[in-house]
Amino acid sequence: MRYLLFVPLILFVALAQVATAPYFPLLGVTANPLLVLLMCWAMVRGPRETMILIPLAGIFKDLITSDPVGASALALLPIVPLAAMRERWPTESEFVPTLAVVAAASLSYDVLYMIVLTAVGDGPPWLQSPLRVLLPAALFNALITPIVYLPVRWATTLSEMVRPGMRVPG
Amino acid sequence: MRTLVWLLVVGLFALLSIALSQLGVLDPVKNGALTVASPLARGLRAVASPAADFFDNVADRQNLEDENRLLRQQIEELTAEIASLKEDELIAGDMAALAEVEESRPDDEFLVARVIARDPSNLKERLAIDCGSDDGISEGMVVMSEGGSLVGVASKVLDDFAWVTLITDSNSNVNAMVLESRAQGVVSGSLHGGLSMDLIPQDAEVEPGNAVTTSGLGGTFPQALLIGQVLSVRGDPQDVFKKAEVEPAANLSRLENVLVLTSFTATHLTSP
Repeated sequence: MRYLLFVPLILFVALAQVATAPYFPLLGVTANPLLVLLMCWAMVRGPRETMILIPLAGIFKDLITSDPVGASALALLPIVPLAAMRERWPTESEFVPTLAVVAAASLSYDVLYMIVLTAVGDGPPWLQSPLRVLLPAALFNALITPIVYLPVRWATTLSEMVRPGMRVPG
Repeated sequence: MRTLVWLLVVGLFALLSIALSQLGVLDPVKNGALTVASPLARGLRAVASPAADFFDNVADRQNLEDENRLLRQQIEELTAEIASLKEDELIAGDMAALAEVEESRPDDEFLVARVIARDPSNLKERLAIDCGSDDGISEGMVVMSEGGSLVGVASKVLDDFAWVTLITDSNSNVNAMVLESRAQGVVSGSLHGGLSMDLIPQDAEVEPGNAVTTSGLGGTFPQALLIGQVLSVRGDPQDVFKKAEVEPAANLSRLENVLVLTSFTATHLTSP
């Protein structure tokens, strides 16, 4: 039932990213709010829900961009093991590890994405990419993490209050 | 264990989708998705546009000041040039050169297309237009701005839409020529959307402000399409070639409509 709300929300974020992200560049790159949202989601609510949302969001995003269908789904995969690792080593603060894993997920997303582009004959210059794209994008995504993390945290706390029986990891 | 199984299943599914996508099997699905999503995306872009303009202005203040200084300088230079050209008006040379450009493309046919999306990837410079193969567009067709300068090439064509690879894409290379000195080179894109002209002979005269156009070599682009203007020239005397930074003539980040040159067919030369 909850996926009736989650799936449209994730698809909307993917659409909004495609429509507007290129118009808000910082450090020469654009942010990846979809990746940040999925990573925050997995960190706050556990990776189970993102296992459903990642393939849907990735495929939808690829359908409305010039990417080969499946490229984003593949590039978003590391979100789940990163969140699972976080569950294995719990820390007192939840926000700081989220920043770190968002940056890590951003780096792994770009590397996997570049591998796919190279495999389909559309590869970017690998030597220039780390300094010009990978690191600035990781920084930019980490910078917007608080904007995404806080609503996810609040929404989760609210849902726990409404449904006290529901246990949310993290 | 559950995570591992999920990774394998979704990973294999994604790889299969990529393969099918490359074979063009999913093109009708992409076309359908863009048909549904493009009006929604346009609406979202319209909502975000004022905010984007605001951030642009804040970020570009220094650029605007520099641009203003450069424009003043150019006005001065152009005014002097106009005075000189008035004297030369009667000389047939310039007229002949103009006629030559017109004669080289007497049957140009254009299709006006609206820009409906821009690829959000940091590694690609592409935009989507609302015309596709049903409108007569095919891969390799040249795309120009409303002002007539080069924008890019149609690289992926669906039934009702097409993706255009911009000249600023890191995989884009255009055989080009500096109009004033006829010096030839190759204009390439980069990861940050800039343009540079490489392989300019060391003895060629290239100065900031010179116009850069397509040379027509290779047959991928028609001759004499404006690409941009030389911003700066780099290269030591001992280098074999010079390199120039080029500013695109069209504002590629804010294109709303483009012209697709439907009458020009790119030829792909193969080595003998």
